Amino acid sequence: MSEIFDTVIGLEVHAELLTNSKVFCTCSAEFGGDPNTHICPACTGQPGALPVINHRAVEFAVKAGLAFDCEINRYSRFDRKNYFYPDLPKAYQISQLDLPLCINGKVELSTGTVVRLNRIHLEEDAGKLTHDDYNGESLADYNRCSVPLIEIVTEPDIKSAEEAAEFVAKLGQYLKYLGVCDAKMQEGSIRADVNISLKRKGDEKLGERAEIKNLNSMKAITRAIKFEEERQAEIILSGGTVEQETRRFDDNQGRTKPMRNKENANDYRYFPEPDILAVTFTDEDIEKIRATIPALPKERKEKYINEYKISENDAEVLTSEKYISDFFDDTVAIYPEYKNVANLFLTEIMRRVKETESEEIPFSPEDFAEVVKMADKNTVNRNDAKDIIRTMFEEGGKPMEIAKAKNYLVVEDNAAIADFVEAMLDEKAELLEQYFAGKQNIFGFFMGQATKGLQGKATPRSIKEYLETAIEKRKNK
Amino acid sequence: MKTIKELRGMLDKKEVSSVELTKEYLDRADSLNGEVNAYITISRDEALDEAERADKKIAEGGALPLTGIPLAVKDNICIEGVRTTCASKMLENFKPIYNATAIEKLNEQGAVYLGKTNMDEFAMGGSSQTSYFGGPKNPYDTERVPGGSSGGSAAAVAADMCAAALGSDTGGSIRQPSSFCGVTGLKPTYGTVSRYGLIAFASSLDQIGPIANSAEDCGIILNAIAGRDRHDQTSRDTGVSDYTSLIGESVKGKKIAMPKEFFGEGIDDEVKESVFAAAKFFEENGAELVEVSIPTLKYAVSSYYLLACAEASSNLARYDGVKYGYRTEDAESFDELIKRSRYEGFGREVKRRILLGTYALSSGYYDAYYKKAMAVRQQFIKEHKSIFEKCDVMLTPTAPTVAYKCDENIDDPVKMYLADICTVTSNMVGIPTVSTPCGYDKNGMPIGVSISANHFEDAKVIQFADCFEKQFSKQAARI
Repeated sequence: MSEIFDTVIGLEVHAELLTNSKVFCTCSAEFGGDPNTHICPACTGQPGALPVINHRAVEFAVKAGLAFDCEINRYSRFDRKNYFYPDLPKAYQISQLDLPLCINGKVELSTGTVVRLNRIHLEEDAGKLTHDDYNGESLADYNRCSVPLIEIVTEPDIKSAEEAAEFVAKLGQYLKYLGVCDAKMQEGSIRADVNISLKRKGDEKLGERAEIKNLNSMKAITRAIKFEEERQAEIILSGGTVEQETRRFDDNQGRTKPMRNKENANDYRYFPEPDILAVTFTDEDIEKIRATIPALPKERKEKYINEYKISENDAEVLTSEKYISDFFDDTVAIYPEYKNVANLFLTEIMRRVKETESEEIPFSPEDFAEVVKMADKNTVNRNDAKDIIRTMFEEGGKPMEIAKAKNYLVVEDNAAIADFVEAMLDEKAELLEQYFAGKQNIFGFFMGQATKGLQGKATPRSIKEYLETAIEKRKNK
Repeated sequence: MKTIKELRGMLDKKEVSSVELTKEYLDRADSLNGEVNAYITISRDEALDEAERADKKIAEGGALPLTGIPLAVKDNICIEGVRTTCASKMLENFKPIYNATAIEKLNEQGAVYLGKTNMDEFAMGGSSQTSYFGGPKNPYDTERVPGGSSGGSAAAVAADMCAAALGSDTGGSIRQPSSFCGVTGLKPTYGTVSRYGLIAFASSLDQIGPIANSAEDCGIILNAIAGRDRHDQTSRDTGVSDYTSLIGESVKGKKIAMPKEFFGEGIDDEVKESVFAAAKFFEENGAELVEVSIPTLKYAVSSYYLLACAEASSNLARYDGVKYGYRTEDAESFDELIKRSRYEGFGREVKRRILLGTYALSSGYYDAYYKKAMAVRQQFIKEHKSIFEKCDVMLTPTAPTVAYKCDENIDDPVKMYLADICTVTSNMVGIPTVSTPCGYDKNGMPIGVSISANHFEDAKVIQFADCFEKQFSKQAARI
């Protein structure tokens, strides 16, 4: 198929902002809660109630805009989008049409594709409906009403399902870095609408597009796009024309289905929201917000590769999430053995945080730095160091205390080495003869015996040193 | 008929208690309401409770200007737990779960609420006859309308069924009924009084204001209800601490703008005469009359109705039968539920305006209607700005006619709309305007004169109205 057609995709991604309160009232914006417990006259559309803008939400949206290289409109306005639905108590959504907060940004993908952002605007979420078929009722929960959302709208620059998925993942990663969205797709913090059309290779003109609404997992995004590519290709190849329509994705059946066509499209009758004043910024305001943006993955990754000499793959993993990268940075700030820190981090910490999904490392960078150092300096064996990390994860405690309690500390007891090695060589005189006769692997046997017998009293290196000299001496005798 | 100022003196001197006063007003309201229909709800028990609390406050020496003063409140201003209908079947049994900010502020003063006053349904009209509860009548002639949409409030003040009242004004809804009922009504500068809890008609035009027996009383009430409110972003801290502070200052040397378009065709001769006489009074007191022009006035009514209805179509969309208010029975689907609830719950005029506004905002028509009307609004702001650069206040008739018979005009919406010509620009520009009685026609019906000033100069219009009132002999309503 891809030999005949190019896929053209534009996305509209909705991301819920992590503000404490809602965007147009002071109710809690927290996810969940008993139905209709985070509500007030304003967010339930009581007669006479008015919206009041949450400036924190504005700041978050601008932060996102700056992170994606957007221009920030110095004068921005809100508009009403009017439509009737039981989850929308005012029967209009306060959104932004002509003058959104942010315009003209971009996101680069690993494929080299640069996805241009048309805009990022701020708006309010709607409530949630639950249909009780048994009693023939629909129940409305308005907790989510007026939770702040940003809508990120791309130009049709995305060329495949994989690129779309990477784009959404990258948005989520950046928004999380910024601390403006938790990016939990399973809780609906990020939802995407996909606009997709096909055009014959070499053609300039775009085909008619279908819009697939409200995709709430990576899997749904890729599956829906792949299904649409096939559906539209079949229509075109069989001589038909793709209809401009809105579709939804049925997760169970793995296919998209029509919702409404162009004729039945809503006329939202947008007009300027008279209850909310225009939002204006000075250059100084914008710089203040910019100053709150942390170093972003791209910058960190480059630093890890170029300055820390960490491989690209490892750098990718270490910058996947801000808390991970922050922890790593804090550790190497204390103990700048970048590669050693990275190695233990990747094998011992990454595996566990991925298992628990807790996004919390239960010990400090100081503690971790100490463990890496202990392993590097042979204060403990490398395997024991790993066990110390495991213990810190599972039971807590400080590295040195754990090492002591578990008897992991290596003490260089030269007398003990001498006693043990000399006794061993006396006892195994026959083997030593065989070694002298050329059986090289017998050295390994001696090493093994000694390391085992001297556990906790000597490092392998000093054992090896003593063993080599002792054997040499006996040979020359 | 006593002013708030007079009642305050009586209460403070213990010549009368708030409970006694409240009872008097309640009794009069009860006995006259059958005829005047000024109130949709009279809340006797609550009023007497509030009066009792007020008496305690007075006894403790903590009386504020409105403590114990019996007021009426237009039925589109929310009082927690008190039925607030907007004179609509849609909200026939609706009880708000919160107080409007203006009510909260009056509560802080310990004011007493006698009840909720009749009005045009959702404040849409100039006669109050679109009320679902039957139209209120004019206390000067009960065959005539009290004006609208705050007709119940104006009639209640004129008939002495309350000491003063709150109204709301979107295109003249405080001033025109005040003019029709021979009382004083003030539309404050947009943003002076919080709109939180005022059931919205057209958000960019709506403003709560007082209707009272004097301009000074209007100032006393405005002192209580004005101020920036964290619940209303469009509310402002006006920096004025006392709206009555200019009262008594001379008008000598002040310039009064007389826009010629307000004295042309369509204005009754008797109205013109009275208003000119009022202008003459100011001239005799040393003010200078300056003829000015508002050339855009011919577009005032059409652009006002486009904007007001556009906003209304959105503001009234929330009445869908889902959350509160009227819900149709046995709807099979959500679409049917909302269509039928709205069809059955709204009256004709409300539906007409929702349709007009929906049309004006529809794709393909937005530029021709809404956008153009916004441009006219900008032009009005410019023209008024240049007037107030030269002049202190502007003087105009409040309405082209006196109150008409209840069966006149009602069936001709365009004629009704055109009658708003004298009042709508004040809302479009956002400036303060007060209407005060300036004469009576051959039938004894009151005529009002309007005085406007620049934004946030509410104290100035109160000063001018007070100056006129002090020499004007009012004729009490016949009822």
